[in-house]
Parts: sequence; C-alpha cells; structure tokens
Amino acid sequence: MIISLLLALSRQISLNHRWILVAMVIGILGSWLLAYYAYAIAEALEGVGQELLNATLYSAVILSAILLSLHVIPLSMSASKRAFSERRPNFFQPALYSMLVITVSCSVAREGSEIWIYVSGFLYDPGALQSAMIGGAIGAGIGMSLGAIAYYLFVFMPKKIFLPFFLVTVTLVVGGLSMQVAKQFMQIGWLESAAPMWDSSFLVSEQSWLGELLYALLGYDASPSMTQGAFYLAAIMPTISGVLWHVLHRRENNND
Amino acid sequence: MWIGTAAHAEVPVFTLEIRDHLFYPSLLVIPAGTKVKLIVLNRDTTPEEFESYELNREKVIMGGAKATIFIGPLAPGDYPFFGEFNPKTAQGLIRAED
Repeated sequence: MIISLLLALSRQISLNHRWILVAMVIGILGSWLLAYYAYAIAEALEGVGQELLNATLYSAVILSAILLSLHVIPLSMSASKRAFSERRPNFFQPALYSMLVITVSCSVAREGSEIWIYVSGFLYDPGALQSAMIGGAIGAGIGMSLGAIAYYLFVFMPKKIFLPFFLVTVTLVVGGLSMQVAKQFMQIGWLESAAPMWDSSFLVSEQSWLGELLYALLGYDASPSMTQGAFYLAAIMPTISGVLWHVLHRRENNND
Repeated sequence: MWIGTAAHAEVPVFTLEIRDHLFYPSLLVIPAGTKVKLIVLNRDTTPEEFESYELNREKVIMGGAKATIFIGPLAPGDYPFFGEFNPKTAQGLIRAED
C-alpha cells in the first residue's frame, strides 16, 4: 500500500522512479540481516533488542513519511488553485529521494525479516516448506496484484484529488505505525499498558478479513490503550498543523 | 538501582513453554488488574511468534530462545493467544482472575 502510494506520488510529481530499486535492494538486504542476527538482536539489551529495533524502524518510517507529507501540503494547495505545472517541486531533491528510500527500505526490512524467519522454520521439513512456499507465493501474488491495482488507481487520479488523498492516507498510516511504536514499549514494560480506551472488536474483529486488511493498510487496532492514543495524536499532529498553517497563510495572502 | 529492583520485584512472573509447536500450559491463570511479566521459552528448534489480538501483543521467539513479554493490567476475563507460525496447533488462553 505504502509502496504503491509513494510510487504514484513520485509519478504524480514527476520524479525519477529509480529510487524504488535502491529502496528494495536495501530493504531486502536489511531484512535478511535482521533475520540472520535475529537471535542476537532478541538477546541484546537484556532481551528488549527486538522491540527497540522495531520501534526504531517504525520511527524512521514515521519521520520520513511526515517530512514527505509536509512537502506535499504546499503542492496540494497550489494544485487546487492554479495549474499544477506552474509549480515544480521546490524541495531539495536528494532529501526527497532519501525520504522515499528510508520509508520503503525500513518498511520492507521489518516486514521482510519476519518472512525470512518464518521460512527458516521450515528448512528442515521439505514437505512443510513446499506448502509454506506455495501459501506464501499465493499471498505475495494477491498482495502484489492489490498493490498494482492501487498504483494505477492513484496514478490515474487527477493531481487535485490525488495529493489531498495522499496526505490523508499517509497520515492514517503514520498514526497506525505510531501505535506500533507504543506497543513495542508496552511489551517490554517501559510504558504502562493501562486499560484499552475502547474495544471495537464487536464491530470489526482484528481476526476478520476486514480487520486484517485494515491492520495491513492503516494499522487498525480494535482495543488501543491510552498510551497508543497519545502516540497516534503526536504522530498525526505535524501534518494537521501543516495543513492548517497553509490554509491560514493563504487566507491572509488573499486578504492582502 | 535499588528502587528499580524493588519496583521489578512487585511484578509477578509467569512462564510458558513451547514444545512441538504447542504451548505448555495451554491455560495460564494470572491475577487481574496487575502488570505481569510473561517468560516464554521456545524449546523447539524452529522459530515461533507469540501473538494475541486480545492482549495486543506479538513477538517472534527464535528456536531455543527465551522471550519476555509484559502484559496487563488486565480486566478479569479470557485472553486467547496463539503461535502465528503454527496457528492450528499452538493455541492457548490467559485467564485473568480477581
């Protein structure tokens, strides 16, 4: 989802697509390293290494996605006012590419390492390995097809619609990821779990296909704790403030 | 340091074991309303992922490794968990009681 969205963004704002190759190579290599050293990582820092590393990777994705959003805000505002082509991306390009690479490579490294670890469990059992690989291939096929459909939907959206859509989606994804960061800290006992703020599992259970889909897309959590809520607000605040600032700023300019 | 030790001493510790892709015990009774330290020992050679939607926890545990997971304070009730890599066999329940 995030990859389709970022690819579509780079197409929509006319960036070179080569960054995705760099990001995928770093991500896949990183995921293999994480899986290879998983035992050492898990044992590190008195057994909290895995959670701290996860939290770091999630935070890197969150930060770079927020910076990307802040860059997109002025573009989306100007797209609604005048012809988009008048405004070229004025952001320092290498920084923009770095953010795209960091977002994708860290996401791929984290998710990918779990796949390596999962597959490694079947290496000594060829029968089970084969069925696991077939299952995995079907899953990957479905995932990639959905990603491709999403990509083409996003690319064919007019910029005026795509850029605000991008902002809203990335903000939701960032919020979902920030709850994962909170969860890592609660799991190692550094933050208090407290009681969940609500339980929407009666509405959409996390085990249901819709729950799984929402989790994969937006980090859906049926019973988030207060701590997770606070992390969520902190993560979505920069983008919301950015949008508000630009709206007010434009209104002032119009009044002049 | 002493304060840290004292604070940690108040957290009750419970142990789960994974053997042949099964959890032992499959029913673990813990006190409700208290933060609990769960130690999961994976006796298998293959990795497993401890996962629970109800407890809001997931953690990969490599073969032969030991994992620590803090849970709670929980309201009284049943909280199922499972091994994500062997979800058909590895099933368990944590029961929080007053």
